[in-house]
Amino acid sequence: MTLASTPTAETPAAPAEVTVVETAGRVPLLLLAGSAIAWLLVSGILALASSIQLVHPDFLSGWSFLSYGRLTALAETAFIYGWVGNAGLTVALWMLGRLSGEPLRAPNWLLAGASFWNFSLLLALIGIAIGYGTAVPFFELPTVTIPILFLSYAAMAIPGVLAWVGRRRDLMFASQWYAVAALFLFPWILAVGYFMLDKIPVQGAVQAVVGGWYAQALWTVWMAPLALAGAYYVVPRVTGKLLPAYDSAVLGFWVLVVVGGFTGGRHLIGGPLPAWVASVAIVTTFLLLVHYVVVLLNLRVAWGGGGTALKFIGLGLFCYVLGGFADAVTSVRGVAVSTQFTFFDVAQTQLALYGGVTLMLLGALYFALARILGRPWCSAGLIRAHWALTVLGLAAVVICLAVAGLRQGADLNNAQVSFAAIADDTRPWLVGAVAGAAALLLGNILWALNLAGTAAAMVREELFAS
Amino acid sequence: MKNGLMLFLGLLAAMLIPWSAIVLGANHELGRQPAYYDDNDSQAYPLRPSGIAAEGEQVYRGLNCAACHTQQVRRDGYGSDVARGWGDRQSVARDYIFRANPELGALRIGPDLANLAGRKPTAPDIDDLYTLLYEGQGAMPPYRFLFQYRKIIGQRSDDALQLVGRYEPRPGYEVVPTRAAQRLAGYLLSLNSTYTYPEARAAAPAAGEGRK
Repeated sequence: MTLASTPTAETPAAPAEVTVVETAGRVPLLLLAGSAIAWLLVSGILALASSIQLVHPDFLSGWSFLSYGRLTALAETAFIYGWVGNAGLTVALWMLGRLSGEPLRAPNWLLAGASFWNFSLLLALIGIAIGYGTAVPFFELPTVTIPILFLSYAAMAIPGVLAWVGRRRDLMFASQWYAVAALFLFPWILAVGYFMLDKIPVQGAVQAVVGGWYAQALWTVWMAPLALAGAYYVVPRVTGKLLPAYDSAVLGFWVLVVVGGFTGGRHLIGGPLPAWVASVAIVTTFLLLVHYVVVLLNLRVAWGGGGTALKFIGLGLFCYVLGGFADAVTSVRGVAVSTQFTFFDVAQTQLALYGGVTLMLLGALYFALARILGRPWCSAGLIRAHWALTVLGLAAVVICLAVAGLRQGADLNNAQVSFAAIADDTRPWLVGAVAGAAALLLGNILWALNLAGTAAAMVREELFAS
Repeated sequence: MKNGLMLFLGLLAAMLIPWSAIVLGANHELGRQPAYYDDNDSQAYPLRPSGIAAEGEQVYRGLNCAACHTQQVRRDGYGSDVARGWGDRQSVARDYIFRANPELGALRIGPDLANLAGRKPTAPDIDDLYTLLYEGQGAMPPYRFLFQYRKIIGQRSDDALQLVGRYEPRPGYEVVPTRAAQRLAGYLLSLNSTYTYPEARAAAPAAGEGRK
């Protein structure tokens, strides 16, 4: 398993190497990618509104469906299941199809699954807005929508699994391990959440353990693998080089899927559960660093190359690894006492979800969509603006929330400081986070325009040709 | 890796191991905790929540109040939870056995509510809660959609809020809580963890002991 995927010369100006996977699977893949971008914009608007509420609590407070708690839950759900889910599947299915060398089989299952997935997600958001959310982080989905999401995910996974089973060579690449893990394991996580939290809920505080496991599993065996699947495929393609230290990639993979599931309890430090729940999580969070180091060693070549895809993936890699180390440091009890329950925790989530996963997915999508559409992106200026706004916005959000969190943590630990004083202390930094959220949203709007323009050019050409 | 079946089975095992260890392990240890019967009080603790408190828990959940409020007091000396008067002891798993959906929370933009109704020296009463929810305070937004602003027909309602200053209704009008506000307040006023279980005592050597 020392081979990376066979590198082919990358001509930066598409229509480079458009394969039968792209031409035959264009409609379902574009449906997934288009839904992903729509959800990214929806969650961006919701996140911007909720970050304004942190500065001006009165903002939109008159409507129950826009109250702060519901807005944050809506933004998170749209982001995770809408953006990461759709974008991750676009990349994973496209990549598995390419490595099988044949058009995606069962494309109608993908079309039907994607339609039901996005429709039931819309129902889920309406449900949360009118008060049927569960208030469990990463699992706010109203109970009734989960069976539909489960089945539609299974339908969407079918073409991916068929492409993997029918792969041209026995040897599997790292990108395939990660993609297959995400395809097979997500339904398990969703089912555990459905039964152990909603249908036949476990008793009292044990629900917090299940919730912690759910959020962590969603990260370690679904969102992170989807992003890594794209990065492990695109980086060697673009650089034209074998990945360095590729022998250790298998170690990084198994450490993530085995050890990752133990780390969920680190948010329960000092909580009402037995100390072993937190202690196991702290130890394994450090063990998980092996995974982050391996990914860093493998993908570091992304920092050497040019091109839009590598820029996004390179920064995503940096954020992903930094997030892993931040998790480890803040899981130590002496540090957690100052960062737990503060905006620092929110900053870490943003670093991981927006910095790590989203940037890697954006990079892979820049590469994949140019091939799926069979033409280069229509505006290089919009790409540059998207990149600049993303870097600025991400830095503003993560740094401002982290500083706000450190101040909040110091204040919370001093019993003399009132909550009004804490709010005054953190407000300037929360304003910075609002600016960051606005920049991210604007950048993504420009990206959506660029995609729309490119797709329109493709449609015009096809009509003209026929 | 060459063998697809091995990858598939490996993935299932990789999922099964942490899930059984952490989730099933915790459930095995704590999933069937009984209430603690105190012979001196002739009473079992925690108390079962009243009907309105159980309904209010769903209002709390639906509004996602846990986005800003935790419900877990950490032990004295770890953070300022006890010093802030949020409780006299750390929260333990037994506090939550009668909660349909415990909301431990992960962010403290507002204060902890685990022992809201048992705070010393003064716990808020229902009028305080209604006023706070209607007016908001500091970083807490107002929740005016939980109230009804209406013309007084006949006699002023007994439930009408005693608002003064900026939020005082016009003469002839009153502000009354909706059913959702009554449930939410009923729930918040049921949050009381003053009783100290054997496992919640701060004695260092016996920490974790005392489960029956």
